Amino acid sequence: MLEIYNLDVNLSYRGSQIKALDNLSFNVYPGEILGLVGESGAGKSMTGLAIIGLIEAPLSISRGKIIFNKQRIEQNANAFRGSKISMIFQDPLVSLNPLRTIGEQLVETIRTHIKFGRKEAIEYAKSLLEEVGIEQERFDAYPHTFSGGMRQRVVIALALAPKPSLVIADEPTTALDVSVQAQILELLKKLCRERETSIILITHDMGVIAETTDRVAVLYSGTLAEIGKTFEVLNYPQHPYTKGLIEATPRIDANSLNSKLYQIPGVMPDLKEIPVGCPFHKRCPRYIKKCVEIKPPLLNERAACWLLDNEKGLL
Amino acid sequence: MVLLLVALVSFIIFRYVGNPVDNILGQEATMAQRAALEDALGLNQPIYLQYFDFLVSAVQFEFGNSYRGALPVAELILSRLPATLELAVTSAVFGVFFGITLGIYTAINRGSFISNFILSSSLIGVSLPTFLIGVLLIWIFSVELNWLPSFGRGEVIDLGWWTTGFLTMSGLKSLILPSITLGLYQMTLVMRLTRAEMLEVLKQDYIRLAYSLGLTNKQIYFFHALPNILIPVITIAGLQLGSVIAFAIITETVFQWPGVGLLFINAVYYVDIPVMSAYLLLVGFAFVIINLIVDLTYILIDPRLRDNQLKSER
Repeated sequence: MLEIYNLDVNLSYRGSQIKALDNLSFNVYPGEILGLVGESGAGKSMTGLAIIGLIEAPLSISRGKIIFNKQRIEQNANAFRGSKISMIFQDPLVSLNPLRTIGEQLVETIRTHIKFGRKEAIEYAKSLLEEVGIEQERFDAYPHTFSGGMRQRVVIALALAPKPSLVIADEPTTALDVSVQAQILELLKKLCRERETSIILITHDMGVIAETTDRVAVLYSGTLAEIGKTFEVLNYPQHPYTKGLIEATPRIDANSLNSKLYQIPGVMPDLKEIPVGCPFHKRCPRYIKKCVEIKPPLLNERAACWLLDNEKGLL
Repeated sequence: MVLLLVALVSFIIFRYVGNPVDNILGQEATMAQRAALEDALGLNQPIYLQYFDFLVSAVQFEFGNSYRGALPVAELILSRLPATLELAVTSAVFGVFFGITLGIYTAINRGSFISNFILSSSLIGVSLPTFLIGVLLIWIFSVELNWLPSFGRGEVIDLGWWTTGFLTMSGLKSLILPSITLGLYQMTLVMRLTRAEMLEVLKQDYIRLAYSLGLTNKQIYFFHALPNILIPVITIAGLQLGSVIAFAIITETVFQWPGVGLLFINAVYYVDIPVMSAYLLLVGFAFVIINLIVDLTYILIDPRLRDNQLKSER
């Protein structure tokens, strides 16, 4: 449904061009939930913004194709925004216009995309509110009277109102309480399954990936490190970075009491100083000579790592 | 509170700038005459009683007689007030309307040639003194082009309690130049404020969400961004309306506009103390009223403030 080929996003910085996304390619299939995971600054949100066409100067798409239902959208995303692809952002406390009721905001979005009369739109908006778990009586309430979790429910209703076939959820639960996070994720998952809407779920939380997604793509320094079925990637990671991410995830079980949490050594390089070769090699426990010299392509349609080049499947 | 302070200042001017007895009777009055007048004016009473009397009569809009024309000050001011208010309101409307429009335009089309042109030429509006702008406008439009009158209000229609220049052609024409002169500074200020606030608001997450929901630019600018910049803009516009009334003095002098400001200037020439103190009180009063209205509009605009209000009343 959504195909991305060789996408480059450049950052112009004092006259020079820095690659923020480098040669990114992946697909999203109808009805699936694709997780996009990586450290802060790896380019997760930027990928989302690039798809929906909200990349702004000093960033720009410099190469590559974004194809949605066989149409190229990287230059005219306006026509698809909302109606076909919509996006949910991280902080629900600032995602709604504080001066207008949630009803007004819903009706506005609905009527922008669907040819509804005022009454029909209000009916539809109320049924959406019901679906996301907000009483219809709150239709005329202002955003500040809702809690963070409730506001994120309103945002979900807004994003799903025009019946898009893809929702990009950019860390939709990071700003919420742990107990609320699960509710919101389940709600999003349920509503999208019912509508056969695909989700790109951007997160840095491996636990969320494990519970929610069908497939997962791991980003590192603007490049795709590994992609595959969530089950396979989490159980048999092929890229040392993925392995590190999984090991660095906190666990709650008897064995882990008082044990030290694994850390990936070093930090992700600054965009200006991404090393030649594999961007991860300076932090990689198993790098070989080739890693320092040549950047690995995606091998076996799975991971960008030279270690896969030797035998079939490693780690 | 503010009004009380302003009243105190105008009272002090009234009481102590020059001697009212001298002013009224002149140098050759006899001691008996002076004593009689002091008695009549209450000048031999203790000072706080005098202040109290002054307040009581001010509330009743009673400021005594003008020294010069021997007319009641209240009547004098009332007859001049419509001219000033019409001028102030017109120029404020002009300033706020064009200020907001141009502010939004320059914020949306940031960096374009026209925006930069508007912004740099608006600097002229701030840096040139009001009287110079007035004189320049008169020179261009009245002297050289002979399109618009250079002084006075033109024909006015008397509605009994109000005289208006809005209803006649010459009245409207005479309003144009003074309003531009008076409103230019406000326009520049409102424009720069609108632009800065707009740029700030357009960075907010709810604007990004609105874009990602596929709303049109028009919807985003006018229904999402504009309401959110209104509070600072109205605050400044309100303060400015007060100073428009106060600084109408200069414009009224340049254009010989028969308003309260011109009355005040003439009062200063002739040391007509009652007129001066009444004028001060009037301006103070206008400021207070305008700020009250501004505070009330906050509540109208922002539901969050509305709810706080309700909570504190409960």
